[in-house]
Amino acid sequence: MSGTGSVDQFRQSFCEEARDVLVELESALLELNENRSDEGLVGRVFRGLHTLKGSGSMFGFDELAEFTHNLETAFDEVRNGRLAVCSDLIDLTLKALDRIRMLLEDDREKAAGEAPLRAGIRSRLKKLTGSCEAEPTRGVTNAPVVLSGQVRDWHIHFAPGADMMRTGADPFLLLRELGRMGGLSVQASMDAVPPLKELDPERCYVSWEMVLATTADRDAIRDVFIFVDDRCELVIEPASASSCETQEAFKIREVCAADLTAIGLADQRAGTGGRRVYDKADNATSLRVPAGKLDQFVDLVGELVTVQARLSELSARRDDPEVAEVSEEIERLTSSLRENSMNIRMMPMRSTFEKFRRLVHDLARDLGKDVELTIEGADTELDKSVIDQLSDPLMHLIRNSMDHGIEAPGMRGTCGKRSTATIHLSARHSGASVLIGVSDDGGGIDAEAVRHRAVEKGLVDADATLTESQIYSLIFQPGFSTAKQLTDVSGRGVGMDVVRQRVESLRGTIEVVSKPGVGTSVTLRLPLTLAIIDGLLVSVGEAYFVLPLAVTLECIELTRADVERANGKHLANVRGELIPYIRLRQYFDIAGDAPEIEQIMMVETGEGRYGFVVDKVLGDCQTVIKNLGRVYRHVQVVSGATILGNGSVALIVDPERLVQEVVRSLAHGVRGRPLGAGRGREGLQSQSTTPADGPGHGDRARSR
Amino acid sequence: MPLTQKQGVESNLLLLEGTVDIACAAELKSLLIEGLGAGKSMRVSMERADSLDVTVVQLLWAAAREAKAGGVELVLEGLVPGPIQAALGGMGFREFRSAMGMS
Repeated sequence: MSGTGSVDQFRQSFCEEARDVLVELESALLELNENRSDEGLVGRVFRGLHTLKGSGSMFGFDELAEFTHNLETAFDEVRNGRLAVCSDLIDLTLKALDRIRMLLEDDREKAAGEAPLRAGIRSRLKKLTGSCEAEPTRGVTNAPVVLSGQVRDWHIHFAPGADMMRTGADPFLLLRELGRMGGLSVQASMDAVPPLKELDPERCYVSWEMVLATTADRDAIRDVFIFVDDRCELVIEPASASSCETQEAFKIREVCAADLTAIGLADQRAGTGGRRVYDKADNATSLRVPAGKLDQFVDLVGELVTVQARLSELSARRDDPEVAEVSEEIERLTSSLRENSMNIRMMPMRSTFEKFRRLVHDLARDLGKDVELTIEGADTELDKSVIDQLSDPLMHLIRNSMDHGIEAPGMRGTCGKRSTATIHLSARHSGASVLIGVSDDGGGIDAEAVRHRAVEKGLVDADATLTESQIYSLIFQPGFSTAKQLTDVSGRGVGMDVVRQRVESLRGTIEVVSKPGVGTSVTLRLPLTLAIIDGLLVSVGEAYFVLPLAVTLECIELTRADVERANGKHLANVRGELIPYIRLRQYFDIAGDAPEIEQIMMVETGEGRYGFVVDKVLGDCQTVIKNLGRVYRHVQVVSGATILGNGSVALIVDPERLVQEVVRSLAHGVRGRPLGAGRGREGLQSQSTTPADGPGHGDRARSR
Repeated sequence: MPLTQKQGVESNLLLLEGTVDIACAAELKSLLIEGLGAGKSMRVSMERADSLDVTVVQLLWAAAREAKAGGVELVLEGLVPGPIQAALGGMGFREFRSAMGMS
């Protein structure tokens, strides 16, 4: 038998899957709130609760199973038409799900502390259902499923994964659960059991053929196997004539639920700690892999990419056709492997989006507003590490929209708007980026109020000329808020700052579009992955840098004559437009003289277009990003590093941060405090840093 | 201990007690191999067992099959507790019950 570590691991696996069930339950409940007579939704909720209860019991989460039993009973009443769906039931169930989520933390102390809350919910549920049902007996929490409708025979083939027993699972428990759904006939097949000496004592070689006579549908039967159905061979089909013949051939003995409860399974479960966890079956269609293992895998692929680049370089120097052939083959394979490993990390936005249904529901209730959440592009995939960091910013954007954007119902009516407001969450791919949108049909941002507040807070000068976009960007400044009143929901000016910081840390950008009286739309542009970057490799002296390709616009030449004409200003004249530039040589303090002709890489940033002056542009490259480690965690202008084929290290520049940093340092130098938009460009315009910078009006740069 | 082997002159007795499951499956396998290898008949007692799991059933099944093929006697001694009988029946282990002479 595997050790406790293994058991813990699989209990954890159950918890993870149960959390997914909770998300699905919340989503179904909120949909049910909108469509209260939808029997399909009632069925979804009931099955989810039944699954949580049954599986919780099997994994030894008795408190969870008992608590969920009350909810299941309530929804069974709904299924049978004895109880109507009402707001109280939905709210109470949602609150109960929160408690279940806490119980999944498996913290006895916390669970005990929350016992009164659970008791309160239980008592309110009972009042609602008018039920005086006795508490289920601890350890045997699965009361038979109350069924209605026509009885039908189902043929079930169940072959557990070979290592199922080793991981603490027990097929007895699954069969007991099935037995509760109706009349169950079972035949175990021992055909695969090998000779004693070859037999792995911890492996499961047995499979089962069953016929279940029940009113439950296929989904309900599958739910019994919900935590193992991707790790076992499971076929559920209506019993046809042939399967009836099979039944006859097996001479199956009818087993009723009573048989299964009499077999001492409770004792057995107590003896094994209630483990019901399953390992990978040979025929698994999907696997749950710890994120850490995936990160490790991607790291190793990154190492391989680095070594492969070195091999390619060596091969090019050797001029040996045989080595070159092998090197090219490895390059091709590495490229496929890298692409595949990146795809593995991709996850749909659905679960992240769905989580916000609950937030919108609760906030709408608290704020007295009627709001519906619509979702678009939930299947859009994004790197897991990006998704993980999106919850907070999306939450703040939604809270802000609901509190400040969406008008009170009365006011909406006056404006001729539908009383139910809409928050729309969307996701779509756009090149190497993903666009995540949060929009509302509220009152829009009052640009004048934002500007006025920014002036009050000293963020901009009273006479500053700001575009609409620049004004909107002010709402993301730390501590900025136009709210006259602080509410529980927002108003401290923290949330939007969190959004900005998080999006920037993800190398993303924010765009705000707002129309007074019509609504506001905030779009987050994020890279598909944080692990790999499509970049442009440039050099300055002996140093190499990578600029993210997504933000580079064009490359233009900068001659000494151009610099001399620039009148001491770091400005390039690009087709009549003056673009400020930053010399990487100067910023990173790189020794040596600049070449006669330098290159300016034009990049698009939140602060506008800027140029980075480098010695050479070496070409595009796809690089695996390596973190610089804790020592350099405060270095914001560099998002990581990569190792080139020749063994050199190239720093991956974060153009957004670099520009901000330069703008900030110039602003502090001139004014001693942060400045509003446009100030940095002025700073660069007045900067003279090299003796070569002479008088002029901006360089007439040549686009390449 | 759920497993105890008592050596006899003509036969060995294997006693299963309490919860006999995967935790002692490896040991059970060794005892069964050892017992069958001794060329003596083997008696298995489940009288004091509370429950068996699938791994134990598989091992006993494989041992019974091998004993039969090798002309060695492997028999159940004493009564099989009701819950275990019911569990084996409920799990559809007809062949096993038949091989162990339970039915």
